[in-house]
Amino acid sequence: MASLAGGLRHLRCHGQLLKSQWQQVLAVRPRIAPKMGIRQMTVESNVPTQTADAPTSTGPTTLPFVGVHHARQVPTSPSYFTREPRFNDIYIRLTQLLNKYHRLPTLPANEAPTLPWMKVDQIRQQLGEPVKSSHFAKMIRVAKRLNLIDPSLRPNEIDIVLHQLTRNIDPYVNNIRPITIDKFGRAIGVGKRKESTARAFVVEGTGEVLINGKPLNEIFGRVHDRESALWALTATQRMDKYNVWALVRGGGTTGQAEALTLAVAKALLVHEPALKPALRKAGCITRDPRTVERKKHGRVKARKSPAWVKR
Amino acid sequence: MASANSLRSLMRPSIPVAPRLIPIISSSFSTTTALSASPRAPKSSVVTSTKMKKNFKKGGGQASAPTKKPNPGERKAFRKRIQLSNNSALAVEGIEVLKADTLAQSSNTGKMFSIPDEIIDQLRTLEAFKATQAWNLFRKPHFLARKEAVELISKLDNAATKKEAEKIVLTGSKLSGKSLAVLQAISYALLNKWVVINIPEAQDLTNGNTDYAHIPNTEPAVYSQPVYVLRLLQTIYKANKAVLESLKVEKDWSLTGLQKGNSLAELILTCKESEFAWTTFNALWNELTLPGRPPVLFSLDGLSHISKLSQYRDPAFNLIHSHDLALVRTFVDALSGKTKLPNGGAVIASTSGNNMQFHPSQELVLAQLEAGQSGKPIPKPDPYEKKYDDRVYESLKNTSVLRIEGINHDDTKTLMGYWAASGLLRNVVNNHTIREKWALAGNGNVGEMERVALLTMRM
Repeated sequence: MASLAGGLRHLRCHGQLLKSQWQQVLAVRPRIAPKMGIRQMTVESNVPTQTADAPTSTGPTTLPFVGVHHARQVPTSPSYFTREPRFNDIYIRLTQLLNKYHRLPTLPANEAPTLPWMKVDQIRQQLGEPVKSSHFAKMIRVAKRLNLIDPSLRPNEIDIVLHQLTRNIDPYVNNIRPITIDKFGRAIGVGKRKESTARAFVVEGTGEVLINGKPLNEIFGRVHDRESALWALTATQRMDKYNVWALVRGGGTTGQAEALTLAVAKALLVHEPALKPALRKAGCITRDPRTVERKKHGRVKARKSPAWVKR
Repeated sequence: MASANSLRSLMRPSIPVAPRLIPIISSSFSTTTALSASPRAPKSSVVTSTKMKKNFKKGGGQASAPTKKPNPGERKAFRKRIQLSNNSALAVEGIEVLKADTLAQSSNTGKMFSIPDEIIDQLRTLEAFKATQAWNLFRKPHFLARKEAVELISKLDNAATKKEAEKIVLTGSKLSGKSLAVLQAISYALLNKWVVINIPEAQDLTNGNTDYAHIPNTEPAVYSQPVYVLRLLQTIYKANKAVLESLKVEKDWSLTGLQKGNSLAELILTCKESEFAWTTFNALWNELTLPGRPPVLFSLDGLSHISKLSQYRDPAFNLIHSHDLALVRTFVDALSGKTKLPNGGAVIASTSGNNMQFHPSQELVLAQLEAGQSGKPIPKPDPYEKKYDDRVYESLKNTSVLRIEGINHDDTKTLMGYWAASGLLRNVVNNHTIREKWALAGNGNVGEMERVALLTMRM
């Protein structure tokens, strides 16, 4: 039994050898498939003349590798032997383009066309290579510099390369569904802040407010929270024209109050879309993205380090 | 058992008693050397202990500032003080003074009125002003005759003319103005020469902070609270002096040393000590419920405190039900209609929003009464609830419930106009400000509106 196992030992890694690592990646993204060509390696210098002659000579077909005594496979790309050949290929291509076109006129950064740049995780997945995020950042910097070149003067080859670095986003899928006023005259807005979610049903009325079925003073003990909950209506002087009926879930008092601000503002915008600049100025449009910072290992909290002890 | 214990003292103790460590200096002329030695002198370390730290707090031993501590009761007096004027506030012109029939007229709904000076002292004596109310912000005490108050006062007016007792329970959310409605009722009663008995905090009666005594010959036992009742009697005397002096004693109270033909004021004055307080109060209540007397207003704030078990114990160490306290029972009998008020009058119990004790029976009966008044389906008792109390249910089922919640926009406008005229509200009083404060205050809750508009500092 043991001798049989020993005899089969050389077959142990057989499956691994058979598995094609390239083919999977090719299926995902065929357009940056590696160019594995055959380069003849001869000591004589007549090779280019031979290839130049090939299309012109229409008579007898020349067989390849005739008269070639010493040949071996050599990768087309010099980055074949690096850790991330496909990534390096793209990077080399980008730098070549930048060298070539860096004199072309550029736009200021805010006027350059916005592209959905690929994230480092996606590029790792697509290329199947362990791309370092610092290297990726370098590459994106070069790509963004190329993107600054005026689009009207930009050569097509730049666009082709930059397209490889953008995410595949379908603009028709990601449409924002517009909120409408329903048959009862309600506009429903949703707002979030920290862990809280609020839904506000805003109707035309006389300024009555009920949150989770209770008046405002029972929900928020703090006057500041009450003010921030109704800030969208107060800042636009619309307190006397609408009624608010809202549901708030999750989080603490501040989060709930500020989630309500957003919800009420969104619902108010449905009734009066012209209020958008005023509401933006009042800070009721933008969602506050700040949340609790995660705790790290080796630390007591997110940032707090343990007390220093001598030995 | 007693004999066994006494025998045990003769026996040798089974557990050996530890030998005494401290020598007993029995006599001064003992010659025993060990005992004649002087008691242990204090060690030198104790002598120099002034330099040592007295405690383990940081920052030196006697670092605390040499401030004078407030005297006993001073802090409470400061907390409970009632300030009714503020010279920094502007005087508001053109506000009518409250008259005897002002609040009973529905045409006066939504107007501000000032409390006349002659009853301010009486109201203060009766503790009708509360420390939580914002009287100290304004030059003079004024109030708004809101719809519910006018409704309440017109009920009292009807009761006086019909010579019936009006039994009312005031409910509503926190800071909605229930105590102020009681104050308005008391003002009305004082201006109309009623006799007013007010219990400003029902919890004082039941939280076990005042002394209590069994009233002899009562079965089941009833307990009086002598010191509280004595103070209450003095309050009644001070607040209703003019009315009581005009009323002559009709029954024979010769046991208290009272002459025939003396006034009720003198009846109260005969009670100098707390032992006779309950007898005197009982006599006064009896006299007041005789026909031909002025109407009586008996009011109490904090109803839920007299619905539960009190903190007092009976001889078997069981908690005494609040209704077994004599003063509470007097009030509850009047509220339930057991005691008739032949001269008319009112019994007003107001619930407290903040200092609230949940009582299922009270909640149930008030909900049922409210539903019955508004013609809604009457809520049924919860079959799984164990803590229902029939005594509480019976005491409240004959009352009418008046719910006090937020004020409407017009009243808000009047009130905010008054605040602005007093120089307290800096905003322009327009439609938008009114609706904004109204909404921020939880749909017109007056106390919250004061908080939002006047008491919140804006930088």
